[in-house]
Amino acid sequence: MTASLVRLHGLRKAFGARVLLDILELRIERGGAYVLIGGNGCGKTTLMRIVAGLEPVQAGGMEFGGEPFRLSAYPERLRRDIVYVHQQPYLFHTSLRHNLEYGLKCRGLPPAERERRVEDAIAWAGLQAQAATPPAKLSGGEKQRAALARARALQPELLLLDEPTSNLDRAGRGQTLALLGQLREERRTVIVACHDQEVIGLDGFTRLRLHDGWITQQSG
Amino acid sequence: MDLLEPTSQAFRLLLAGDPELLRIIWLSLWVSVAAIALVAAPSIGLGFLLAKKRFPGQRAAVVLVQALLSFPTVVIGLVIYLLLSRRGPLGSYELLFTPWAIMIGYMVIAFPILVVFTISSVQGADPRVYETARCLGAGRATASLTTLWEVRFGILAAVVNGFGRAISEVGCAIMVGGNIAGLTRNIPTAIALETTKGDFAQGIALGFVLMVVALGVNVLLALLQGEGGLK
Repeated sequence: MTASLVRLHGLRKAFGARVLLDILELRIERGGAYVLIGGNGCGKTTLMRIVAGLEPVQAGGMEFGGEPFRLSAYPERLRRDIVYVHQQPYLFHTSLRHNLEYGLKCRGLPPAERERRVEDAIAWAGLQAQAATPPAKLSGGEKQRAALARARALQPELLLLDEPTSNLDRAGRGQTLALLGQLREERRTVIVACHDQEVIGLDGFTRLRLHDGWITQQSG
Repeated sequence: MDLLEPTSQAFRLLLAGDPELLRIIWLSLWVSVAAIALVAAPSIGLGFLLAKKRFPGQRAAVVLVQALLSFPTVVIGLVIYLLLSRRGPLGSYELLFTPWAIMIGYMVIAFPILVVFTISSVQGADPRVYETARCLGAGRATASLTTLWEVRFGILAAVVNGFGRAISEVGCAIMVGGNIAGLTRNIPTAIALETTKGDFAQGIALGFVLMVVALGVNVLLALLQGEGGLK
């Protein structure tokens, strides 16, 4: 049995009197691919944001790589290991290369390594023709692929992707689905929140169903 | 009134490079640029903090800065005069009726413009900017600088507005500068003086320079913004 990369326990998130999440335990295995499903407003995005350290909680703890901590005291160093990609990803108004290089610079990687990873990310996302295009002029699908490539280039321990195929046309969805399949093949630990049946049906993804604040797991 | 003769005389003065005129223009430019250069960083920093951080008294601080926007410049000049006058708390520095006093006045006048514009720009920024930077591994300081960079066109507009307000200001400059020929006489105070003396040529020449500077700075801003400034 592989060791759990993430173990969430005793998680409670409420908005006023409404308890959105009440999760006793959730384990994410290293190298596993998960799809988080549930109705609108059930807390998928909130759960992802909590794991990424973007959302405060009333109670709960987390273990990451066996290291325990309280979610109310989210360790800064985890921001290098866990990367969250918004439903509508934001690309900085600079250049595509700068976007791809941003997190690499934050990690203090040497220029040659940054250059190598940027080139690899551009090729992985199939954005060679758009490399010189300002991000604001990219299509929705291209922006999504750029954001996925930007996150992947950081080689994080855990990738959290929020509805990566929403708001995309057929072509954009197809390309994004292919990239999700590649992430799975590369044995990246990834959680994808979505409604998209094509994503839910992707081979090798374990389904996590969120309902009434509880999580149940179904085999992929 | 015949405007043709003073106008042609004004352009003759400009083209001849009248030393008195050039001295006045140079003083206006360097004092305004220096004032904005000195006040920009702290004002933008404060604007960012007031926009992003929640702390007791934050709302009151924003209201106070907004109120400073509508403060009459002669009142600002009066306060600075009292502070810098011989019997004032800063009198020993002997800054009154020097370009430095005008610079201090300009800094005080530009300060609320820069702060309020920065607050508005940062609050109008997409909240995903800061979150994205944090998610990509940036620390709080780097993510804050990234946010400021993303709203750079708004910040640039703040700087340009502050500069425009400073270089065209009269009341405070007269009060703390004294409009002394060759020392503290700048473009707007010279225009005011020459017009009251009936010497329209110099007033028109300086007014023309002021408009060219204002236009030039705004054209520069538009060029810097490029297409990114228009959303």
